[in-house]
Amino acid sequence: MTLRRRFIPYALLTPGALWLIIFFLIPMYFMGEMALRSGALETGGFTFTWEWSNFSEALDGRGEQIVRTFFYTGTATVLALLIAYPLAYAIALKAGRWKLLLLFAVIAPFFTTYLIRTIAWKTILADPSPVVDLLKTLQVVPEDGRVLATGGDVIAGLTYNFMPFMILPIYASLERIDLSLIEAAKDLYASAREAFLRVTLPLTAPGIVAGVLLTFIPAFGDYVNAALLGGTNQAMIGNKIQSLYLVERDYPEAAALSFLMMAAVLITVLIYIRLAGTEAFMGDEDEED
Amino acid sequence: MSEKLRLRALLTALAVLAGALALAACGGDAGDDDEEEVQVAEAGPAQGKLVISNWPGYIDTGPNGSVAEFEEKTGVDVDYIEDVNDNAQFFGKLQPQLQNGESGDRSIFVVTDWMAKQMYDLGYVQEINRDDVATVFENLAPQFQTSNLDPDRKYSIPWQSGMTGIWVDTSKAPDIRTVNDLFDPKYKGQVTMLTEMRDTVPLVMKADGIDPTEASKEDWLAAIDKIKEAADSGQIRRFTGNDYTEDLTSGNAVASIGWSGDAYLIGNKNAEWRMPTEGCMLWTDNMVIPVGAPNTGAALEWMNFTYEPNVQADIAAFVNYVTPVAGVQEILRKRDPALGNNQLIFPSEDFTANCTAQVNPPGETEDVQEVTEAFEDVVSG
Amino acid sequence: MEAATTTAPRVRAGAGARAWKWLREHALNIYAGLALAYMLIPIVVIAVFSFGETPRDRLNFAINDGFTLEYWENAFSITELTDAMLTSIELAALSTVISTVIGTLMALALVRYRFIGRRGSNLLIVLPMATPEIVIGAALLSMLIIYNISLGFQTLLIAHVMFSISFVVVVVRSRLIGFDRSLEEAAADLGATPVESFRYVTLPLLAPGVMAAALLAFALSIDDFVISNFNSGTTETFPLYIFGVQLRGIPVQVNVLATMLFLVTVVAIMLVLWQQRRAERMASVRPEPVV
Repeated sequence: MTLRRRFIPYALLTPGALWLIIFFLIPMYFMGEMALRSGALETGGFTFTWEWSNFSEALDGRGEQIVRTFFYTGTATVLALLIAYPLAYAIALKAGRWKLLLLFAVIAPFFTTYLIRTIAWKTILADPSPVVDLLKTLQVVPEDGRVLATGGDVIAGLTYNFMPFMILPIYASLERIDLSLIEAAKDLYASAREAFLRVTLPLTAPGIVAGVLLTFIPAFGDYVNAALLGGTNQAMIGNKIQSLYLVERDYPEAAALSFLMMAAVLITVLIYIRLAGTEAFMGDEDEED
Repeated sequence: MSEKLRLRALLTALAVLAGALALAACGGDAGDDDEEEVQVAEAGPAQGKLVISNWPGYIDTGPNGSVAEFEEKTGVDVDYIEDVNDNAQFFGKLQPQLQNGESGDRSIFVVTDWMAKQMYDLGYVQEINRDDVATVFENLAPQFQTSNLDPDRKYSIPWQSGMTGIWVDTSKAPDIRTVNDLFDPKYKGQVTMLTEMRDTVPLVMKADGIDPTEASKEDWLAAIDKIKEAADSGQIRRFTGNDYTEDLTSGNAVASIGWSGDAYLIGNKNAEWRMPTEGCMLWTDNMVIPVGAPNTGAALEWMNFTYEPNVQADIAAFVNYVTPVAGVQEILRKRDPALGNNQLIFPSEDFTANCTAQVNPPGETEDVQEVTEAFEDVVSG
Repeated sequence: MEAATTTAPRVRAGAGARAWKWLREHALNIYAGLALAYMLIPIVVIAVFSFGETPRDRLNFAINDGFTLEYWENAFSITELTDAMLTSIELAALSTVISTVIGTLMALALVRYRFIGRRGSNLLIVLPMATPEIVIGAALLSMLIIYNISLGFQTLLIAHVMFSISFVVVVVRSRLIGFDRSLEEAAADLGATPVESFRYVTLPLLAPGVMAAALLAFALSIDDFVISNFNSGTTETFPLYIFGVQLRGIPVQVNVLATMLFLVTVVAIMLVLWQQRRAERMASVRPEPVV
């Protein structure tokens, strides 16, 4: 490879990498430093003391929230995938000239603020509402139960609010599919289901992986859904971090818990990528020349 | 990854880290705490620009409102920002600047009693010289002349006050009169409490006959345990900010601990605010002048301005909480008798006889931290 | 294809069986339709409540009082709200453009080249997504304070681009993976320079992915609260305004503006589509050049 050729990827990479290093990594370094401090605001500030105990303290008694966060986030991701894929499929492959319109129509509600979207949902799902009555008749909700302020509601909130993150990558990769490939499969006597499973699905694997990651990763650290839609036993790790930082003002523990949380997410992501296949995540293209 | 690549990756990572450390060293410390005397706000001519951070809905910001009136009268250009919607959030966002001695361009904050005190204790707030705010102290209503947390009124000037009590849906739960009724199993899952520790916990203590101003740390923790039980059993539906109004409107809740001035937010005609039989909690939102505030002269002038009874009458009529200025009730009685005689806006001494002004948990920093943590654990689930 | 007929008498397929068959054939569309409805429900509710009369002109989502158009007539009467919305739109637009460009370039680098630091870069991309917003926001704020950078629109823009880049990269990358390189090779064979082949072959084929990424970046930016809250100084964005004002009641104009935003988006796309169809139709009626 010529020198100039070798230079290209770095040239492409630099603006983004620089931006992230300066405005993300360096602040994170400060956060990391904070995670090793001890003290309190009121008693003279935080001093750097290699306080590794912050990390163990952060995990102390938080097991329930950690498990719960995995559960909520995992369920929400799966649900989002199940809802998003057929929708994206229908838009990308069946909507013809209307697909752009439908795509925007589906994403545009997310230009309004989270808060009013959530209030709208809460209005629909309020205890005395006909919708909830319907759900009770359908046995989805127990007779003496409710929808709001439950774990189910938090999951529903996470699912809904992360739908764009799931739909868009899947749409992007579905849209790319050459319909003639599917036709070819059918000509070769594949049933519709087989054509889907063996042609469409693998081709859209990168989109699915991207969607899953874009949903799971940020949802894991989310706190708003649990705060507004949850009751008294639905807090996620994000809520704990929020409360540690703002209310208890224990910046070191908040920072420590955040790093631990990030580590947990990254490990989960690594495992998932191994399972889904690294090509689907990173691509394995080589620039041949 | 091959050994060589792995080594390279490690070196890259180290290089980045070294670079970051270098930058950090150049940037200097993340603010040191000096032990200096508290600053006193300087008086001066009212001119230039004034930036105020306040809670939303606390003044008429329209073209005919009080802010415009001030601008006209003094020529000061006011940038009135309604970005205080939660004490902790606001503090969290301003803390790095305050620690550096800067106020984020703002000359006045309005925060609740306990937050004002915390800011003061941390050295983030300037003291106010009584002589500079003569109009304020002339018109300050007697019950606001001192407060539990700022007894000499050295740094906090009340803006508006309010009462925390119980909102009740009288069509569904007519017999709720005390905070203990909220623990009644027949209302399971239909009761909410506030996330504000200094509202919820003292109320629960009062219902059990404990005076919050004299409660011990154990009393606080015991009350928190009681609340925890109710939360775990599902008795308490959830802990809210002011979104309890949504729950009352939609019928999710039949009773909520809530604030006296929120009537118009609740779209439920059967909801009414009740003074608990054991008394309510009184809180006050106060104006404070942060360290590093530009244009303190204009800030002090603003305080004087808003304490003129005529001006305050406009504010009180707009806000519908409790005004700290004497003489306003008479003015409003003439303008609008319904307003002037409203117990929630002008509570009589009898009405608030059993009420307690806001307090902090007792003890040293570690004790307060312990109580705060315990309550947070319950509230955030 | 007709199934082979049997000699046994066949019961005439009842309406139930026909309906079931119809259902199976249209299952996908029905499912998609339901999903679409699911996505749109909140905006419908928001729109409906923009027409309701309320005391003090604040939302309380109670289904009572009257129908009124007054909030639509006075949609822009709350200056603070309108300013906040305009700020948000401007911020989101700028943030989208910058982050989409930067992110697309990064995605190209990451998918198509092998280079030292590739895995590190992949990690760097994922990290911001994994970090809780409050940590990113507070950490960035602390750094800005240390270096005495004044807070405002610029710092907001910096923050928004920062958290959007990762999402853009992941979306564009998923489109790039498995990209049919033979088209670009064909272009090269026909004498196109790398830049030309990028511009005329790669980019158009990449366009839907880039557009999807841009949409996502826009949504992220216009909806961001936590990070913006920390880094905005005294600037107000739409979410900041709403989170602020909800303490004393959200003005109904918020619903009006939100509905407007949705409608404007949809109408804009319809115009684009209509333009396209016109162009197509005009192209198809152009008389064939006589050879």
